[in-house]
Amino acid sequence: MCVGYTATLGTHPSVRAWRRIDPYYKPLLSDTDSIQLMTRESDRLADRVSRRKFLIASGAVGTAGLAGCSGQSDSGGDAETEAAADESTPTEQSSQDTASSESGSSGPSMLTAEGSSTVYPIANKGSSYWNSNAPPDDGEYWGSNSEEGNTVPGWSELGEPDMRLADYFASLYGFEPTGQQATPPFPTSIGLSHSGTGCQSVVDGLVDIGNSSGPITAELGWSESKAEEEVVDHVLGRDGQPVVVSSDIYNNGVQQLTGEQVRKIYQDEITNWSEVGGPDQEIYVIGRAEGSGTDTAFRLNMLGSADAPMPGVDTRFGQNQQVAQAVSQNEGAIAYMALAFTSDTVLPIGIEFEGTLYEPDKDAENTIFDSAYPLNRDLHQYTKITEDTPNGTDMREAAFMNMFLTDFGQQVFVEGNNYIPLPTADIESEKAKLPEQV
Amino acid sequence: MAQTTSEETGAEAFGHLVRRFRNFVDETDREALAVVGVMSAALLAAFAGFLLVSSYTVAPFAVFLVAAGYGWLRHQELTARLLTLTTTVSTILILILIIAFIFVEAVPVVFYESATVFGIEIPGLRMFIQPEWDAVSSPIRYSMVPMIHGTVMVTLVATAVAAPLGVAAALFLSEIAPRTVRELVKPGVEILAGIPSIVYGFIGFTVLSPWASDQFDILGQGTYLFVGVVVGLMALPTVVSVAEDALNSVPESMKSGSLAVGTTDWQTMTSITLPAAFSGVSAAVLLGVGRAIGETMAATVMLRGVPKLTDPLYNVFYGQETLTSLIARNYGEADGLQMDALFVAGVILFITVLVISVGSQYVEWRMRKKFGGDV
Repeated sequence: MCVGYTATLGTHPSVRAWRRIDPYYKPLLSDTDSIQLMTRESDRLADRVSRRKFLIASGAVGTAGLAGCSGQSDSGGDAETEAAADESTPTEQSSQDTASSESGSSGPSMLTAEGSSTVYPIANKGSSYWNSNAPPDDGEYWGSNSEEGNTVPGWSELGEPDMRLADYFASLYGFEPTGQQATPPFPTSIGLSHSGTGCQSVVDGLVDIGNSSGPITAELGWSESKAEEEVVDHVLGRDGQPVVVSSDIYNNGVQQLTGEQVRKIYQDEITNWSEVGGPDQEIYVIGRAEGSGTDTAFRLNMLGSADAPMPGVDTRFGQNQQVAQAVSQNEGAIAYMALAFTSDTVLPIGIEFEGTLYEPDKDAENTIFDSAYPLNRDLHQYTKITEDTPNGTDMREAAFMNMFLTDFGQQVFVEGNNYIPLPTADIESEKAKLPEQV
Repeated sequence: MAQTTSEETGAEAFGHLVRRFRNFVDETDREALAVVGVMSAALLAAFAGFLLVSSYTVAPFAVFLVAAGYGWLRHQELTARLLTLTTTVSTILILILIIAFIFVEAVPVVFYESATVFGIEIPGLRMFIQPEWDAVSSPIRYSMVPMIHGTVMVTLVATAVAAPLGVAAALFLSEIAPRTVRELVKPGVEILAGIPSIVYGFIGFTVLSPWASDQFDILGQGTYLFVGVVVGLMALPTVVSVAEDALNSVPESMKSGSLAVGTTDWQTMTSITLPAAFSGVSAAVLLGVGRAIGETMAATVMLRGVPKLTDPLYNVFYGQETLTSLIARNYGEADGLQMDALFVAGVILFITVLVISVGSQYVEWRMRKKFGGDV
């Protein structure tokens, strides 16, 4: 994401703050480091064992991570080695095609992704769940446990399948279930770098999925048509800050505001709720830590520029919990914060921008969960269109990404990380991008 | 190593030093001298390496450790002298390095906030002559005035709570209460001092602030009044404990003498015990004030975090920001000049605490001079 926003915003002062929006901004390794590391590993591994042997030998997911890396650099390497090693190391694409038939013998190759640190928490949590392949009676991570009274969110919507987590989602796309703990039909691995790096890696075929918090057109400077030819854009959630008010205001008539009204409230031009159709009550305006990512994003999208003044703010808090607490225990409060912290006393309101009303209801025509809602941005996962996968998404990618497009995935991985879940309509259109389920 | 007294002139002092050093070298065993020399040189090299952020720093330090170990076994007395000297010097050195770091980090924003007075540009002046703070939108200003105001307000309220309550409680415990009560209550009060400040802050944020907001019809929550009250309560145990010790240390002979000439208990307390223990009691109050100024967690949680002056200035029902809460709230997000401005807040706190500590020493010194004796 960082690279992307640098590119689009240029020398804008908001750039540095936008970077800070990422909680995991600092990469563990620089891009070049990690690529070199991967290549070195792969050379060494290739000397000793064939990839397939290695895969079979390594049951543990952690060690299989190395194999995944070596696999990618193999397929990206020169043709001679690839041809020579063809028998034992099928390339990425061929393994994808024959994924289901091959899964019995050696199993399909590891699914790899890397990129944006904003998408990382969602994808990585999904990957962790996937790799542990919890049984349906676990209750905490998957399925339902009547003894402990735990049931994962969205379990009944899935039809309560009697299969392990990864087994179930993989079987929807024709993979054989393993039925074993910590042994999914194929392992997954999520790397952490930047949006631009993730986009480049998926285009270069280094990974299966490129995570990005900005559109690939901005990240790599592509045109729309080129992006459509080369990659498929999957959106798995949104990053944004809905506007919330305290319940006394919500219950007394203010259930929506226009963008202009919100701007005026934060810039001290409106100071009483009666001016926007509410009760005669002074507005208690809550902002976020000065110069933080959320603060800058709000100034940029709601007030017009990243350095717009906010003289109307009465209180600033650093954390979502504090904001929610302050909104619930004070009258006449307005704030913006992560959706996951809303409650009966902290209610998201609809916002009208340029004649379109975005409602806080997932099934409405225009919702505050939409991509068009100005305080939101999409969190993307890109897959590459190849000759073998003209639709852009192979079965492994589809199986993994489909997990995020369920109620279970949206609640656990997206909302669970304080991001905004997709509205119903978007889930439908995202599912349509995936291949047919088996 | 040698101490020079102020009467000596530079040349005399140097001559004295050289003489002492020569005597020391003559009197000491060669091997011991070599060991001590190696230790000193290695330690100096390690310090130089530390300042240069060299990865080889560990080598001279290892040499120092080996030399110290050898010296400890063979020439314990001389080694021990050098080691104790080393610890003293390093304590002072660490302090100096920290102070220097805070000051150096604060420099850029000080120059940014220069103001021109009578054609002379004075760095940092603008931080103190106008009250605007805005780190994001132009004009970008880093005024310290709102935070200094906030710290003063909280400290005043806290002192008003802690000083009378604390001194009165100390007087009761020391002079009036029966022995058993004192022995039960005093440890209890001291345990109170151990409650982490975030607990007070949490209670303040979830209970006191909303209540005050309702009762006084305040827009939103966060008041200097209640932050001051909470901080004052937090400082109370310190004040009680230290003041009680001071009152207790007034010699029994003084009190008995007073009673012998026919005063009542109360007269003895107010005209003999309290004045005699005044230095200790004021030290207790100053310690409490120091705690109020330095209190961070409760203030950060309860205050509003928007640096601006309240209107009017003595309005304690709105609580914006103190020097400590500014640092605590913003260190994670700040960079560039904003970060440097936080260091300026640190410098101001450092100077304030320094003045208070020197002030309390002075009060104590004057009292000792006035009363003399063992008080």
